[in-house]
Amino acid sequence: MVLHMAAGRNVISTGVVLDTLPKLLIHNADAIGSRPAIRHKDLGIWRTWTWAEMLDEVRAFSVGLAALGLKRDDKFSIIGNNRPRLYWAICAGQALGAVPVPVYADAVADEMAYVLAHAEVTCAIAEDQEQVDKILAVSDRLPRLAHIVYDEPRGLQDYDDRRLIGVAELQRLGRNALAADAECLARWQAGVAAGKGSDLSVILYTSGTTGRSKGVMLSYDNVIISARNGNAFDRLGADENVIAYLPMAWVGDHVLSYVQSYVAGYCVNCPETPDTVVQDRREIGTTYAFAPPRVYENLLTLTMVRMADASPLKRKLFEFFLAVARRWGEKILNGETVPLAARLLYGIGDFLVYAPLKNQFGLSRIRVGYTAGEAIGPEIFRFYRALGLNLKQLYGQTEASVYVTAQPDGEIYADTVGQASPGVEVKISASGEVLYRSPGVFVGYYKDPEKTAEVRTADGWVHTGDAGFFDPKTGHLRIVDRAKDVGRLKDGTLFAPKYIENKLKFYPNIREAVAVGAGRDFVCAMVNIDLTAVGSWAERNNVVYGSYQELAGHPLVYDMIAGHIDEVNRSLAEEEVMAGAQIRRFLVLHKELDADDGELTRTQKLRRGMITQRYAALVEALYSGATTADVSTEVTFEDGHTGTITARVEIRDARTYAARAAAVERAA
Amino acid sequence: MDIVYKIFIDPFVQMGTAPDLLVQTLWDGLVSGVLYALIALGFVLIFKASGVFNFAQGIMVVFAALTLVGLNEHGVPAFLALGLTVGVMLLLAFGVERLVLRPLVNQSDIILFMATFGLTYFLIGFGQLVFGGNPKVMIAQQLYLPSGAIEFKGLGGYVQFQKIDIAAVIITSIMVAVLAVFFQRTRIGRALRAVADSHQAALSVGISLEQIWVIVWFAAGVVALTTGIMWGARSEVDFSLEIIALRALPVLILGGLTSVPGAIVGGLIIGVGEKLGELYWGPLLGGGIESWLAYVIALGFLVFRPQGLFGERIIERI
Amino acid sequence: MRAPSAREAGLGEVLLAVENVSLAFGGVRALIDVSFDIRKGEIRAIIGPNGAGKTSMLNVINGFYQPRSGRIVFKGEPRTAMRPYAAAHGGIARTFQNLALFRGMTTLDNIMAGRALKMHRGLFWQLIRYGPALKEEVEHRRRVEEIIDFLEIAPIRKIPVGRLPYGLQKRVELGRALAMEPDLLLLDEPMAGMNLEEKEDMSRFILDVNHQYGTTIALIEHDMGVVMDLSDRVVVLDYGQKIADASPDEVKCDKNVVRAYLGEPHGTSV
Repeated sequence: MVLHMAAGRNVISTGVVLDTLPKLLIHNADAIGSRPAIRHKDLGIWRTWTWAEMLDEVRAFSVGLAALGLKRDDKFSIIGNNRPRLYWAICAGQALGAVPVPVYADAVADEMAYVLAHAEVTCAIAEDQEQVDKILAVSDRLPRLAHIVYDEPRGLQDYDDRRLIGVAELQRLGRNALAADAECLARWQAGVAAGKGSDLSVILYTSGTTGRSKGVMLSYDNVIISARNGNAFDRLGADENVIAYLPMAWVGDHVLSYVQSYVAGYCVNCPETPDTVVQDRREIGTTYAFAPPRVYENLLTLTMVRMADASPLKRKLFEFFLAVARRWGEKILNGETVPLAARLLYGIGDFLVYAPLKNQFGLSRIRVGYTAGEAIGPEIFRFYRALGLNLKQLYGQTEASVYVTAQPDGEIYADTVGQASPGVEVKISASGEVLYRSPGVFVGYYKDPEKTAEVRTADGWVHTGDAGFFDPKTGHLRIVDRAKDVGRLKDGTLFAPKYIENKLKFYPNIREAVAVGAGRDFVCAMVNIDLTAVGSWAERNNVVYGSYQELAGHPLVYDMIAGHIDEVNRSLAEEEVMAGAQIRRFLVLHKELDADDGELTRTQKLRRGMITQRYAALVEALYSGATTADVSTEVTFEDGHTGTITARVEIRDARTYAARAAAVERAA
Repeated sequence: MDIVYKIFIDPFVQMGTAPDLLVQTLWDGLVSGVLYALIALGFVLIFKASGVFNFAQGIMVVFAALTLVGLNEHGVPAFLALGLTVGVMLLLAFGVERLVLRPLVNQSDIILFMATFGLTYFLIGFGQLVFGGNPKVMIAQQLYLPSGAIEFKGLGGYVQFQKIDIAAVIITSIMVAVLAVFFQRTRIGRALRAVADSHQAALSVGISLEQIWVIVWFAAGVVALTTGIMWGARSEVDFSLEIIALRALPVLILGGLTSVPGAIVGGLIIGVGEKLGELYWGPLLGGGIESWLAYVIALGFLVFRPQGLFGERIIERI
Repeated sequence: MRAPSAREAGLGEVLLAVENVSLAFGGVRALIDVSFDIRKGEIRAIIGPNGAGKTSMLNVINGFYQPRSGRIVFKGEPRTAMRPYAAAHGGIARTFQNLALFRGMTTLDNIMAGRALKMHRGLFWQLIRYGPALKEEVEHRRRVEEIIDFLEIAPIRKIPVGRLPYGLQKRVELGRALAMEPDLLLLDEPMAGMNLEEKEDMSRFILDVNHQYGTTIALIEHDMGVVMDLSDRVVVLDYGQKIADASPDEVKCDKNVVRAYLGEPHGTSV
């Protein structure tokens, strides 16, 4: 029930600046109270909460948290998959002046303990029994943790830890308090009013590619101003629908599924389970998408795999129309002039292939889709645009409250990341590093002023750590690689590992690739096969295998990968700068690179240092000319216990090509 | 060349030059298609739920019609006779379940099929005993079924729609719709599908096989009664009507034995195909192709899609 | 520290007692004078080498086979000839070694079929559909969705089960049995053919069912590790006869059991 006070409405007196998220919530509940704010698919049906209903829920939650003792400047943690109650928790705590610290749901207990201890969290809000168990397992390292609030009660009935309390119970307490005491509401509203834009709104721990994660402190101004600018840039209004499935601890989700939603008034949809995201996305018909390249890569891989299994007729149709799309699709999307016949053909293709395909992905109604977090393979990028999806690139950082550069409509290129976002200044340092300055720049790293000073200059410019340059033709920024990863071979040839890795990852069969070569004579590659794609290929070609390791070591699989490497080399040979960095030798890794083993970050980025260290034996073998190498690695299983995997890995040479001017040799 | 012209061009030319004839033929084909579908429906119901191909379906049609007419002849008012006949079909269902299905519950399908043979001859004998062997007239009037025709002048000629045919199409459509919803959405419908899929599992879930069989045979009985009324009203009611059941065979092959929509679509295709084929291509082959055209169409389908258009494709996961 | 669970509180009274049951097919004696009991709230494992008569035992309890002699006493009432329908009615649900799913139906429909006994509105109301029958359908659909959520099979809700991989099919079958809200759940080799991760998931589900709903479970299983972890008491059959009946630890060391599995005296564990 919505509590009616002060002439029947929750009113913020006019003239109040909406500079914090709780204030925005109250405003929305008043101005657009009957519009949907958040949805959740539970037990098979979508449940909707309007802004007015959400305010009621958040307020009850907030008063409940206050009763537990949460107060201004306290830190509290959110751990779990995207669910409405966890988003409510963020605002509920913020209304009291406390600071949320979201944590990755799939973090192992150790990582989580580090963050919770470092941030000095006093209250943890967990999704379910799994997360509660993790917290309890490390609670001896968390002396400050006084309360554990859980959303999903299943399995927790028998737990009698005194710190545990359910969200429903907490909200009940809150509602009772509000009903019993008239002053309670006034106190709460005063607490909200006391917040200001410069207050700390959230601490997001970045998944460091090197070393321990750092807590990025963002103020309300940081996130709200960035969100406002972002909304304006893409004309996002209250009618949008987005699906919230990316980690809540990632700045992309925090801004997309939380801040931007509050600022624009659009609805956020939480899927039933992480496995049903594709179906749920289709049901909702999301209009705005924001995802790391991996998501788009996976969808593409899935499609290619399905197509390979389809009847010959379907396959021929698919390939034919895909070629049509590749030829004309982007031009049509960009609004260029295109011959009528081609338009007609594209139209037929749309009816037969592109529209159904987009529908399968759940992307039919997308007006704008962004890829961010990492560079996307140009071929994948072009694929989606060819289908008519307005996919654009965005470049940002947690430290920037997301936006640094973005591509404006009409100026989309596969290899740039766009122009400076509204309100952002970008410049290139003498050493080629990209720097930026904006109202979204973070307040600092929590409890780490030295690191903060390293990264942010006195006059507010932030070092991104990426090497890049402004493309003279388009005026857009182009990112080459992580500044410290861009290196040189022994003979001085430029070596940008990410560039090569992205080319390799375009192939559905290759899930991950690591290029090594800095300071060496030549470049080598270590490759992970994609189990879905290669497994399907194996079924079709009667290749028998009993495990990932067996499949990865199979000679036919090696042949297939060799073919891909060959093509990449040809492609590299066409670019003068890159021609010297062709892959001379390669191997297929016996196990998938995994975040649980510390080889990838939680957002699936490579941790180069860690990888070269772990697989030092393989790297040595690559450069010593050996044809096989023995390796033994320690792995962590999903439930946390460790084991060792040993393997003998084959190493092969690859053919390299003489550098040629572009377009002379278009491989057949 | 001449042959090619005769087969591929001429018929369409004829269709174009006399559109009223085309429409009439299409309509006639539609009607007979609907009636075929009605018969096929009875087979599908029983096969779907008990896995038995009910050879006796045809004779059930006759038996139901005879019972209706017979009761009426003896002075029972039409609608009461209708109600009583429904009751008789229910009794028949109970009887079949108890005396035929229950004793044979674990036997193979071929044994059950033979049992339906037995049922057929029993009903023939019983029917002749009670009602006599003379053809009878369906009490269409008393049931308020319309007679006469609507004439439609146009398309360069005229087209005639028999009112009884219109009624048949409407009644069948309603019946099919009800059955489709029933199968998909209700508990009993689900139980029916379950029993068709696996007796063992159905039993372990607590579904009473006996109860389901009674329901299914009763439903098939009601469909048989409707078929009897419709066919009977268009011709007459006698034992030759059971041959009609054989007409359902190509429909079942086409539509799949397990699909209600399949029976409908299959029926329509065969009905329309037959009539069109007879009129436009028949002369090429000396006429009278109506009797076997249906089987040829059905056989053609068997080659490409053995499960029929709509039947369930069993996908075996290894 | 955990508060005593529903299950620990309920353990004690005998739910089902097998008394001197013998079963034979033609000349083959499947069960010879077997007696044991199953207590309310426990997880009872039935183990033994292949051909020992374990599935036959479940079939007798379930009503598919009638014993030649002896009887089953369920909930205090003796039965010599219990048919499957009556067993289901009485609160016994079952999964099968080789799966008996309705392959043409979706996951959702399969589990809904498990609610058959709980749905009471007759044929008449069902034909009309709206009104009481619809309300009933919705209520049961809700329960079924809770089971789907519990077993984490929401993504495959609408897929015909014939197309699912084996591990998921087994899970759906478990879901259907759960939908019956049984007092006694008979599981015939629920882990057969599963890899380690699937086994762990299935074990977790079985334990949750037992702890949260207090369902008594009788389970046939070959994987000794699973038996040790999950069960409270174990019955061992060999060539149709009971050769041991004790806690998992005791059974593991029992000489007769070891000999039955390995065919010769052996010092170490099974």
